[in-house]
Amino acid sequence: MSTAVTSPDFLSKFHLGHALCAAWLMLFAGSALAEQTTPVSFVNDIVPVLTKAGCNAGVCHAKAGGGQNGFQLSLLGFEPQEDYDYLTRQGRGRRLFPAAPDHSLILLKASAQVPHGGGVRLEKDSQGYGVLRSWIQQGTPYGGDQATLSSILIQPDRGVLPPGAEQQLKTIAHFSDGSTRDVSSLALYESNDSAMAEVDDSGLVKAAELPGKFSIMVRYQGKVSVFSGAVPLGAPVEELPPSKNFIDEHLFANLQQLGIPPSPVCDDATFLRRVTLDIGGRLPTEEETREFLADTATDKRERLIDRLLRSPSYADFFANKWTSLLKNRRDVASDITSNFAFHAWIRDSLLANKPYDQIVRELLAATGTVIANPAVAWYKRVKEPKEQLEDVAQLFLGVRMQCAQCHHHPFERWSQDDYYGFAAFFSQVGRKPSGVQGEDLIFHKRGVAQSQNVKTGLMVRPAALGDDVGEIPPDHDPRLRLADWMSSAENPFFAKAVVNRYWKHFFKRGLIEPEDDIRDTNPPTNPELLEALEKHFVSSKFDLKELVRVITQSSAYQLSAIPNEHNVADQQNYSRYYPRRMQAEVLLDSIDDLSGARTSFANLPVGTRAVALPDNSYNNASPLLRVFGRPESTSVCECERRESASLAQSLHLINAADVKAKLATSGGRADRLSKAEKSAKEKISELYLAAFSRQPRPEELDTALAYLAESRYDANGKPIDPKIVARDNFQDLLWALINSKEFLFNH
Amino acid sequence: MNPSRITSFALLLSLLTHAALAQSVCLPAPRLLTTMPMGGQAGSEFELTISGEFIEGAEQLVFSHPGITANKSADNKYTVKIAADCPTGIHEARVMTRLGLSAARVFTVGKLPEVSQEKHSTTVQSAMPLQLNSICNATMPARGVNHYSIEAKKDQRILVDCAAQGIDSKLNPVLIVGDKDGNDLQVERRGGVIDFLVPDDGTYTIKVHDLTFNGGEHYFYRLVIQELPGEVPVIRQPATRAVAAHSWPPFGLPPEAPLKEHDSEDAQKLNLPCDIAGSFFPAADVDTYEFEAKKGEQWWIEVASQRLGRPTDASVVVQRVSKDGDTESLVDVAELSDIPSPVKVSSNGYSYDGPPYNAGSSDVLGKIEIPEDGTYRLQVTDLFGGTRNDPNNIYRLVIRQATPDFSVVAWALHMNLRNGDRNALSKPIALRRGWTMPLEVIVIRRDGFDGEIELIMENLPDGVNASGTKIPAGKSRGIMLITADEGAPKGYANATFRGRAKIGDQTVTRPCQLASMAWPVRNAWSEIPSPRLLSSIAVSVSDDETAPITIAAKERKVWEAKTGEKLTIPLLHMRRGEFSGKAINMSTFGSPFESFKFDLPLDADSSEAIMDLAKTPPGEYLIALYGSAVSKHRHNVAAITVAEQEHTKAQETAAALAAEVTRLSEQAKVASGQAKTEAEKSLAAVTAEKKAADAAVAAAEKRVAAAKSQANPKDIVDIIVSEPIKIRVQPAETK
Repeated sequence: MSTAVTSPDFLSKFHLGHALCAAWLMLFAGSALAEQTTPVSFVNDIVPVLTKAGCNAGVCHAKAGGGQNGFQLSLLGFEPQEDYDYLTRQGRGRRLFPAAPDHSLILLKASAQVPHGGGVRLEKDSQGYGVLRSWIQQGTPYGGDQATLSSILIQPDRGVLPPGAEQQLKTIAHFSDGSTRDVSSLALYESNDSAMAEVDDSGLVKAAELPGKFSIMVRYQGKVSVFSGAVPLGAPVEELPPSKNFIDEHLFANLQQLGIPPSPVCDDATFLRRVTLDIGGRLPTEEETREFLADTATDKRERLIDRLLRSPSYADFFANKWTSLLKNRRDVASDITSNFAFHAWIRDSLLANKPYDQIVRELLAATGTVIANPAVAWYKRVKEPKEQLEDVAQLFLGVRMQCAQCHHHPFERWSQDDYYGFAAFFSQVGRKPSGVQGEDLIFHKRGVAQSQNVKTGLMVRPAALGDDVGEIPPDHDPRLRLADWMSSAENPFFAKAVVNRYWKHFFKRGLIEPEDDIRDTNPPTNPELLEALEKHFVSSKFDLKELVRVITQSSAYQLSAIPNEHNVADQQNYSRYYPRRMQAEVLLDSIDDLSGARTSFANLPVGTRAVALPDNSYNNASPLLRVFGRPESTSVCECERRESASLAQSLHLINAADVKAKLATSGGRADRLSKAEKSAKEKISELYLAAFSRQPRPEELDTALAYLAESRYDANGKPIDPKIVARDNFQDLLWALINSKEFLFNH
Repeated sequence: MNPSRITSFALLLSLLTHAALAQSVCLPAPRLLTTMPMGGQAGSEFELTISGEFIEGAEQLVFSHPGITANKSADNKYTVKIAADCPTGIHEARVMTRLGLSAARVFTVGKLPEVSQEKHSTTVQSAMPLQLNSICNATMPARGVNHYSIEAKKDQRILVDCAAQGIDSKLNPVLIVGDKDGNDLQVERRGGVIDFLVPDDGTYTIKVHDLTFNGGEHYFYRLVIQELPGEVPVIRQPATRAVAAHSWPPFGLPPEAPLKEHDSEDAQKLNLPCDIAGSFFPAADVDTYEFEAKKGEQWWIEVASQRLGRPTDASVVVQRVSKDGDTESLVDVAELSDIPSPVKVSSNGYSYDGPPYNAGSSDVLGKIEIPEDGTYRLQVTDLFGGTRNDPNNIYRLVIRQATPDFSVVAWALHMNLRNGDRNALSKPIALRRGWTMPLEVIVIRRDGFDGEIELIMENLPDGVNASGTKIPAGKSRGIMLITADEGAPKGYANATFRGRAKIGDQTVTRPCQLASMAWPVRNAWSEIPSPRLLSSIAVSVSDDETAPITIAAKERKVWEAKTGEKLTIPLLHMRRGEFSGKAINMSTFGSPFESFKFDLPLDADSSEAIMDLAKTPPGEYLIALYGSAVSKHRHNVAAITVAEQEHTKAQETAAALAAEVTRLSEQAKVASGQAKTEAEKSLAAVTAEKKAADAAVAAAEKRVAAAKSQANPKDIVDIIVSEPIKIRVQPAETK
């Protein structure tokens, strides 16, 4: 069983529910047609009716394992020949009654004239009912040499819809014989952001108040197309921050088009804290903050970015991200060696700025032992070729292939041959047992790479998502050919997937969302920007540090998080910085840094930071890491990391024993400040610099000074020792800072 | 499973675990585990400290080369002297103990000056300064990183190497060169070296830690900081050889290959036979050679790479070049990869199901038969080499006509001694009197050699005999049995061990190399064993302990019988202690008697082995009976007497001092003036001595208790082997 975590809405949209089905059938109600006299085609007429009515949805008669109540259909009509057999030859022929079509069980059930678990699917007077009836009356023909569906086109395919405006979409089916047909009423429509625009079953789009870009996915009989829409805000965009590079040009052009004025560039303190958290996964030290704020050079932000990229904390932070996605998971104690080695390999590669395509190549085509070649550890975690192809496609190409294992991908062009063609790249991975239980030596097993399509039973040669990679001799490791294909400059997925992933890292939201679901029907919100990023990345020879550099140097990244009067509703176009809660590891390190405590992790030297943890095993021992959603490394999806807020998180920070212990650490910051020979003002200044990378504002300073000056009394009303009071007061101040949004969020 | 069943199951499991823990595996054997330092400079003299297992009262420290000598200076301390002309490289240290000569620990002799690190340096601030061109002997703290600092000049080439697993350490070293503040500049985690070109004059930090931050005295290493001229190739620190390496090189092969691989896209032309050196470089390298051959020719192909110490998996494909006009096609003739172990190696299952040693290799040894006259292409690839760019991954390819030969390797026999037993203990050939130790001997046969192989061990200590079962024709396994007589004197010797066979009309002998585990691994699930080849075969006898039982034929003679008869061999059981269980399930070493099994009673002094010779062909055979038994072992009983004597002596000293205190007290009472002052002074001094003596008594009491506790009978299961028995089977009488 696959353990991949899939975005919940992905599946729910795919496996259409009863409620949605019920809504569709109403489309046909009240518009009964006269009996059709032209020959009815099963493929081109009947299957679309069944699909539109939801009969062949995954929760209805296309349910895996035999359909529903003995009646089975292929998912979304992808296998019409099988559906024809199901309908005409199974159920002892009782489903169809050409002599009296209205007494056919399929019509009686679909119109709920006899009890039907799915309720009314087709009203008796609907168009769909009529088509089915005509087909039965004509003797249930399959349709012979009929034209096949080539593509569908949407008219129009793009448009600008002011808030509240409507746009009727028209879906035209193009057939192999050159004919066309308006299938608007039979096509399925879906908006990618219903808060921005909704679409009904007839293809009528209605824009909401939220400004931005949206898309409407249109599906018809395995073909897909998309309408790209924009809802402008229409506010005047008079002042734009300086354009530092191509990112700004494309991003600000989009804001101008939508009429969303951006927030100004943030101040130095905010930038320092933001970029240090985003690149190094840590808070700036007080010394760094003082130096940066005092620096008057005009290029100090660029120099800071370069310094951070050179630092081991960059490698630690991004290794943390990648090793989790690459499933560096500790299941048994003996995994420790391979996990440490694998994590270190990623971390060292990032530190040395090994080109991204080379890192992926070393991973994909890893051979040998874990110690001699730590990338081999990936094959310890991901053992089956199917899992290997699915993970590689999703992680490095942003393509989710899971569906195509069993059926044609409903939102995409991927067939089962594409799936097994991709799996064939991994068919020559040989394994030999090693001295470690569960750990194999990986080698290239000589032979012709191929994989069996379980549906057709035919052997499929390696093919890369529809691209021919040529003949692979038996002596050549097919995985190297796959790596060659991935890293070619023309590859439509490889660079796009990673620049989008990194964009999301810095901007909270990918240009394509989810970041690992790149498909024609899920277009980017700013295609020009994404393409420019891709080109820049490829021309830099897959230089990850350069990618980070170009993103963080842009004014777009440096915008203030504080909204102006217009852009507060913008959640998509990056007109301001979108604040994010610190991720679990960064938060733990930040609390340690602020409190002066140090979390001790098993098997690791004292002082090891949480962002440098090699695997998931530390989650068990750290309640904070668990509560704040550190992933267990079971999935290639970033969504495994829980970034949402919860009551448990608030309670943890307010009252958990581990947090309180950190505040009270002997020799920690509260303890030290309470004893230090400097003014209260200086001490408060240190606290603010450490927590927020800025000086306290006057009102904050006054509040803190007043609090520190408060006396304390015990239960008997006697004054408490001032030394203890001072320590407790500093602990309280720290506690208050840690529980503030300004601390918890990168902003 | 319902909760109550789960509880019952857990209880049962816990009981079983306790039962298993109550029984140890293998009688105590002396093992030298650490020396500090782990090596030294030729021509130097220094203090060396040892630690180990069952080496209490260690006596002489013995090295495998006479150029290294040692004198005991204190308990577990020696003054070691290395002769100036002592060869550099790997040697072995052992220590003589009451149980015999210990298991070996690697000792390296080099040319560079050495230092030993006395305390850990776990921060940049506490970094230990090192000189260029020196070696630092150190141990790793658990969850720690040792820091060192060097001064270097811009453009200097500095080589940072770390000998660890190659000198028997458990350390899996990570090397980091950092700036003066310890920020990483260059990292090496795969056991390689750091070849560092100094960017600027200044101080640099060198950090060393274990891959998983393990530490302790068993995690020792030799850190080598060396300045190298620009183009000089890197030479690694000497290391032990893997067990697989026993079969390399073939006898008579010159040290250097006469031919070198060309860096060319085209196939390199060869004339057979040939001997060529190449490397699996760059990544995904495919080296192609081309040669002409005639139909019916047979060629043997051998590739060494893993056996040269490289982490590779060589593979050879031979194809016939077929031409149709200008179109060329290739037809597979042979695909060769791996030299499989001739016997089943233990899997990763619950218990051992084969030896935990692998005599095979991931190298290549195989034959091709030429199907027709023509041109042939041979491709050499590294199946591990798809993405690795390491020019040090070298290979040597030999193509020759059949040169039948063999290579033998031996190790102390491992058996599954109890449920779930996965012990991989290092087993020195340290014999108790009356004990027979079996070595398992495996042969890798070369180029079709199929004959019988005799096993011969010589140069043994007095009172020790060794007899080997033959490795039968076409088979792969024999057993060498080393027996210490009941009256053998304490001693040791460096033995020679050879295999002898008739190849064609020549009798050839080949050295049999001995392999051993580097560590006494008690459970190979929790610690991966580290087998390696030893450079010497040390055999010793202890006079302190005797075997718990000696099983021998009633007479040391050749037992004669005829094919078809039943042979009865009366056996004597010389029992010297108690056993758990009533009988030993005996099996038999020595072809063709391997299927003979019987139960040997443990409560009797004799028994009979009755063998059916119905299908035994005439011939001379050597067999031994073997099984396992749980004996009640008392460890170092003599230590109780010694401790008690020391205790008595301490008590006597304390009593004498007590009397003296009483006397001086009385004297002080009656004395006056100066005499009183002096008496009081003496009293104070003696009282202090008395206090120290009382403490010595308490310490001696503890030692007595410890010695008694240690000598408490303990259930230990071990392999029991009879003395070798010779049998001569005569042809059946014809009627």
